[in-house]
Amino acid sequence: MASHVTPSFVRPLLRAYVLPHAGWLALLGVFLAGTTALQLSGPLLTRRFIDLARGGAGAGDLAWTAGAYVASAVAVQVISVADSYVAGGVAWRATNRLRDDLFLHCMRLDLPFHHEHTPGALIERIDGDVTTLQNLFSSFLVNLAGNILLLICVLAILFAVDWRIGLYMTLFAALVLTVLHRLRRRAVGAWRVERQVSAELFGYLEEVLGATEDIRSSGATPYATRAFQRRSRALRRARLRAFVVVAVVVGMTLAMLEPGVAGALWLAGLLLERHGVSLGTVYLVFNYAVLLTGPLEHIGHEVRDLQSAGAGAARIAELLARQPVLDEPALPAASLPDHALPVAFERVWFAYGDGEPVLRDVRFELPAGEVLGVLGPTGSGKTTLARLLVRFYDPGRGAVRIGGRDLREVRRESLRAHVALVPQEVQLMNATVRDNLALFDASVPDARILQAVEDLGLASLMARLPGGLDTVLAPGGADLSAGEAQLLALARALLLDPGLVVLDEASSRIDPATERMLDAAMDRLLRGRTAVVIAHRLSTIERADRILVLEHGRVREEGPRAALLADGSSRLSELLRAGLEETLA
Amino acid sequence: MTAWTAVRALFRAMPLRVLLNGLSVIGRGYLVPLLPGLALKPFFDALSGHAPAGSSPWTWLALYASLGAVFLTGQLAVGYLEPSVILEGATLLRTNLLSAILRRPGARAVPESPGEAVGRLRDDAAEIGILLAFLADPLGQALSIGIALAVLARVSPLVTLAVVVPMLLGLAVVNAASHRIATYRMAAQRANGAVTGFVAEAFGAVTAVKGAGAEERLAGRFRRLNEARRDASIRDALLARTLSSLSANASLLATGCLLLMVGTSMRTGRFTVGDLALFVSYLQALGVTGTYFGSVVLVVRRARVSLLRLLELLQGEPPAILVRPAPLFLRGDRQEAAPAARQPEDRLESLRVTGLTFRHPESGRGIDGASFELRRGRLTVVTGRVGSGKTTLLRTLLGLLPRQAGRVEWNGHEIRDLAAFMVPPRCGHVPQVPRLVSETLRENVLMGVPPDPAHLAAALRAAALTEDLAALDRGLDTPVGPRGVRLSGGQVQRAAIARMLVRDPEVLVVDDASSALDVETEAHVWERLLEGPDRTCLAVSHRRATLRRADEVLVLAEGRVVACGALDELLRTCAELRAIWREAR
Repeated sequence: MASHVTPSFVRPLLRAYVLPHAGWLALLGVFLAGTTALQLSGPLLTRRFIDLARGGAGAGDLAWTAGAYVASAVAVQVISVADSYVAGGVAWRATNRLRDDLFLHCMRLDLPFHHEHTPGALIERIDGDVTTLQNLFSSFLVNLAGNILLLICVLAILFAVDWRIGLYMTLFAALVLTVLHRLRRRAVGAWRVERQVSAELFGYLEEVLGATEDIRSSGATPYATRAFQRRSRALRRARLRAFVVVAVVVGMTLAMLEPGVAGALWLAGLLLERHGVSLGTVYLVFNYAVLLTGPLEHIGHEVRDLQSAGAGAARIAELLARQPVLDEPALPAASLPDHALPVAFERVWFAYGDGEPVLRDVRFELPAGEVLGVLGPTGSGKTTLARLLVRFYDPGRGAVRIGGRDLREVRRESLRAHVALVPQEVQLMNATVRDNLALFDASVPDARILQAVEDLGLASLMARLPGGLDTVLAPGGADLSAGEAQLLALARALLLDPGLVVLDEASSRIDPATERMLDAAMDRLLRGRTAVVIAHRLSTIERADRILVLEHGRVREEGPRAALLADGSSRLSELLRAGLEETLA
Repeated sequence: MTAWTAVRALFRAMPLRVLLNGLSVIGRGYLVPLLPGLALKPFFDALSGHAPAGSSPWTWLALYASLGAVFLTGQLAVGYLEPSVILEGATLLRTNLLSAILRRPGARAVPESPGEAVGRLRDDAAEIGILLAFLADPLGQALSIGIALAVLARVSPLVTLAVVVPMLLGLAVVNAASHRIATYRMAAQRANGAVTGFVAEAFGAVTAVKGAGAEERLAGRFRRLNEARRDASIRDALLARTLSSLSANASLLATGCLLLMVGTSMRTGRFTVGDLALFVSYLQALGVTGTYFGSVVLVVRRARVSLLRLLELLQGEPPAILVRPAPLFLRGDRQEAAPAARQPEDRLESLRVTGLTFRHPESGRGIDGASFELRRGRLTVVTGRVGSGKTTLLRTLLGLLPRQAGRVEWNGHEIRDLAAFMVPPRCGHVPQVPRLVSETLRENVLMGVPPDPAHLAAALRAAALTEDLAALDRGLDTPVGPRGVRLSGGQVQRAAIARMLVRDPEVLVVDDASSALDVETEAHVWERLLEGPDRTCLAVSHRRATLRRADEVLVLAEGRVVACGALDELLRTCAELRAIWREAR
């Protein structure tokens, strides 16, 4: 039975997340047995009451029977509240663990995944889809078990009353459940589409709300509104379809139940006329037939939860099945040593997906402790080169080596601990300055953070923040200037104390006065470290020992800066002439 | 605005649908459940010999069986109408909120993070829609209670009175306790917003997080936020469940009381088994009504909380805007509105700014009393150190931040609503960090501008994007990924420049175009930008080449314009500019 109701995606999730709460589930089971017994007792008490009254029994007997009925009603109330408390606790604990796992799983997936999914859509997939499982993880399973138990008990008692009635009701219940099962299968697909379309709508809204400055000043408000309307329209279509499918399921259940109960009453009526069964027993049959509609109908009502949970579970399974494209290194994986690291690109080719190669046969060597300046026009592959250095991607051909090790053989943690990336776009969060700098690493002492901040000349900014390190930054760091945000990103890198620093246009948005402030700290950051500094501007690589010029993904020129400068025909000299001409004018 | 005024306005926006839904809810939810009892009573009476002569139990049983078809019809109507009312109501709120947000000063459009705001647009808007779908329920309940009481009173007025009392008590308890729900609900929703907001931010900052290997630490913070939400939600749900189960179990208690009362009269035959069947059936129907009465109270409470959260998104605009009728285009698309045509008076001669002031409430920084004038065909370059207010000056001028003082005149006419006026075809803007959305590159550039191929090609050429297009796998039709992540920083910047140019504005406002462009590309872009004698441009830059092109230089320090004039002259007279110039390249 359970295997018919729970789609295949749901079962592994139940095993992993609900089974650990078996103790609480057992308590829910006890509640369930109690509730079932109480539900069964009601009609039995009523039959006794009717037959006693019609038989002219004493008032005392009648009062006791009615009193027992009242007591059972009170007990049902108490159990149902306790049940909802326990069930809610189990559901939240189980789903929260699933949410935690999904969050970490998505965090660990590679950049191609994040390039496909907006943060808004991820809210829907990490939180929204799991919420649809919430009922399933607690009350639904227990209720389902309860309904099955009730179904079996009622049928057993009806068999005891008269085998013909028992047989009839068994066949009827089987018919209803079969029809429902047929109908139900269609609904999963409809709900899956609904969840997908819903994620698209709210993912788009999140992007729009993050781009209000662009939309306003481009006069594109009508455009954004229209795109929102298009997605709302798709949601309406998908949702109505899903709901109508459910209405058919529930409606069909109801359409079968009334005739079914009438059939039971007809049988019982005949038994009364021909075999002298008591009127109380006819009423009992009626009550049990109605009680039976409870489980049959509830299974119908909960179909919607299950369907949307089934669709959610399918999407969760799909998400969990997605593996990082980058393989973890085979054991034993290498660790990087704790000092400045040499870097080498060995005939590296790389393309995004099936696109044109972005890097073509790139090779260079950078000795430990030296600074490489990478130059080239936009789109020449500089950012890609940086991404390969921190192993956001693996080369299609060739190898990237740091400290002599192919990155594919290095443990992820070791790589992250020894190579720091300052990305092109500063990414600050709505959290304290401390958490933004240490990225939620509580083990970093405040003294170290403050030292890093001071080294980078951020002391004056810190002095302005009312709560010091405890100041909560606005979302996206909106209350900081771009230059200040960039300084914070550099402080982040400094805190990691890496052996290799990869700076992707780190100083591009910092004005000259701030850049000067930074220079001293930068010297300090790079002292005793290897660095790859990527910038469009010639000046930011003045501190470079070696220079690499990229053009159309190829190495146009690579060598010691001094040697390239000495050669008047080098591309570097050419670029510098264009730049120096500016400076001299 | 109260929840009721909001709902009244929504009703006026879609009266027919809400009415039809109300009718089907009243019918299916409240009246049809009273029918089975009316067939059961004569059936049992005929069976036990209490019926008038000629009444056959089997006729009544056939009637009872035919009710299944009535239930099916009602269920289908409700299954279609209810979700469509909820969705349309929510979509109207979302539409109005989105327009209000897009009317806000663009640089501070939502009070917290976009992810948090999306949570409100998704869940809180739906709560109001749910209230809209529940509007007819009180009427259905009144009808159902009135009809049931009238029918039952004809059988036994005394029993009717004694039975109604516990029901009413149960409902009174619900009402008395429900005022506590709002606070618990609010806390649960706040905790929910914290979770969704964090997911959006964490995945928005995914490069920085992965680069620092901080995935686990962010997952740790996510877990803590989830736990806080669990506790808040369990408190919220427990109370709601206690109240709803009280009203659901009221019918059981009432049945017990009924049995206690009617023992004697059943012995004498004054109260028949048919009467008992009728009473029990109606008590159950009223018990269900009671459950929904509880839900109406809950729905209203939740809608009130949600309404407050939605009104916060309006940030001070009149609340009536939230529910203003607006076309939703849920059933079909509309024609693209033609962009505002250029009027003769749109032609810029001069733009005079006097005393423009905006200070960020959080940090106290910003611009103070900025005055300057832009004239047709001239390039004005704003320069200054980090945090000196350059971006704030541009944003305030464009209405992306709300000015606190100052006057702006276009050809001598004062502009009152900067945000509405300073848009294409008058003003174009490239923000410091442009944002794209997950559409194709073409869509991101055009954003609603009619696609004239020659015009588009010219804009792309001027923005130096033509070469990049060839390298993208689907050219202009390449999807750029969430927030444009599939493009390099320079490509995003140039896409934003193309987006501005394709609108052909009178004044170009460019915030530090150099930040992601190399020297040669920037020089190329500036040449194209300033082509022709009539281009008027206001730009932030600290590159020497750009400063040298300027007809006028504005030097900002600590939010004030400290100098203004030709470069050569200022280099002699302004120490601040000399400091910037020394460091500039």
